[in-house]
Amino acid sequence: MSDKDTQGRGGTPQDPSGGDFSERLRRLDTALKKAQADRTDGDEHSPRPSKSVEGMAQALRLASEFAAGVIVGGGIGWVFDWAFGLSPWGLIVFLLLGFVAGVLNILRSSGLMKKPGERE
Amino acid sequence: MEALGQYIGAGLATLGMGGAAIGVGNIFAQYLAGALRNPSAADGQFARLIFGFAVTEALGIFSLLVALLLLFAV
Amino acid sequence: MDPIHQFAITPLFGEGTFAFTNSSLFMVLTVLTITLFLILATGRGALVPGRWQSLAELSYEFVANTVRQSAGNDGMRFFPLVFSLFMFVLVANLFGMIPYSFTVTSHIIVTFALAMLVITTVILYGFWKNGLHFLHLFVPSGIPVFLLPLVVAIEVISFLSRPISLSVRLFANMLAGHITLKVFAGFVVQLVAALGALGGVLAILPLGMAVALQGLEFLVAFLQAYVFTILTCIYLNDAIHPGH
Repeated sequence: MSDKDTQGRGGTPQDPSGGDFSERLRRLDTALKKAQADRTDGDEHSPRPSKSVEGMAQALRLASEFAAGVIVGGGIGWVFDWAFGLSPWGLIVFLLLGFVAGVLNILRSSGLMKKPGERE
Repeated sequence: MEALGQYIGAGLATLGMGGAAIGVGNIFAQYLAGALRNPSAADGQFARLIFGFAVTEALGIFSLLVALLLLFAV
Repeated sequence: MDPIHQFAITPLFGEGTFAFTNSSLFMVLTVLTITLFLILATGRGALVPGRWQSLAELSYEFVANTVRQSAGNDGMRFFPLVFSLFMFVLVANLFGMIPYSFTVTSHIIVTFALAMLVITTVILYGFWKNGLHFLHLFVPSGIPVFLLPLVVAIEVISFLSRPISLSVRLFANMLAGHITLKVFAGFVVQLVAALGALGGVLAILPLGMAVALQGLEFLVAFLQAYVFTILTCIYLNDAIHPGH
């Protein structure tokens, strides 16, 4: 369409294409408004929690999963030391293991974020 | 007096976790910036994001370890 | 003024360990509310549901979809447990949003008991259904032998951290939210008391913040119940289908 416009009238391309352009812009505007109204309508009536709410739930989960791993590792190490009297070593080893377990927790729960059939 | 030194040392050791916090924030900020520029490549780099997070956070865990050792093991 | 004061447990009647406290009162209220709501809402059983009945059906559908998505169709045998947990946590959180009431879920002993209920169910059902095969949960396949002790230790810690993360998350969110709300509400009173009329004008700022936080807390109350439910389903899924 635009090709024909520029080829056909070399002398006065401004006037007709300008009118066409404003007409098209107006049509696009109304179509956009209608589409937007439709979409917000659909979002409001959807029964599931919206995307941002699910993202927030995910974030709340990840932070505490990691912290829980470290806390449990440190706790086991402390009990280990207290029971066997191996002064600092139990705490060192189990805190690092707990850190790894925390990262594993994060990987697990963020891997679950993507459903298997969702992509690929 | 010795216990006082332990507490001060433990408090100083926790400052290292602030550094780790800055690093982790930096990693996620850069990831988000990159993901917004090229959203199609973002999912493929998620494993590297977690890897970078783990390496950075490990240094923070070391300072937590020093603090806990000062409090409970020394 | 003390923002911690709202969490104090006081015995209403009885003494010592077996006293009936305000915490117990609100737990009983929560259970009564859920029971009355569900019985009254579904009692008529109309074909075209009214307002209350569609609310009850909505909550049933919501939990049932969550269970089916996370634990498969086999998971539906745990639906009564999961639905009870969801409704208890949700209604207890919402009861906490009423001023001068008591938030049951802001005490770690309550949330930890709920989490231990879930984990005990997972362990018992896992061993009953799968026998010793359940222990394959801790031994991923395709690991070199010399790495095995390390990996098993990490997996065991990861498993043990589940009840901690489940209970601490719910408890910490409710506790922190209510303390923040109380602090901002306290600013209003303190400003008016300290500066008089000027303080009254300035107090609009913390008041607006308190109103916004109240809205956020309603979101968090629902969100935490949802997270608790979905994690329960994921853990039950491990018991039903172990070995990834």
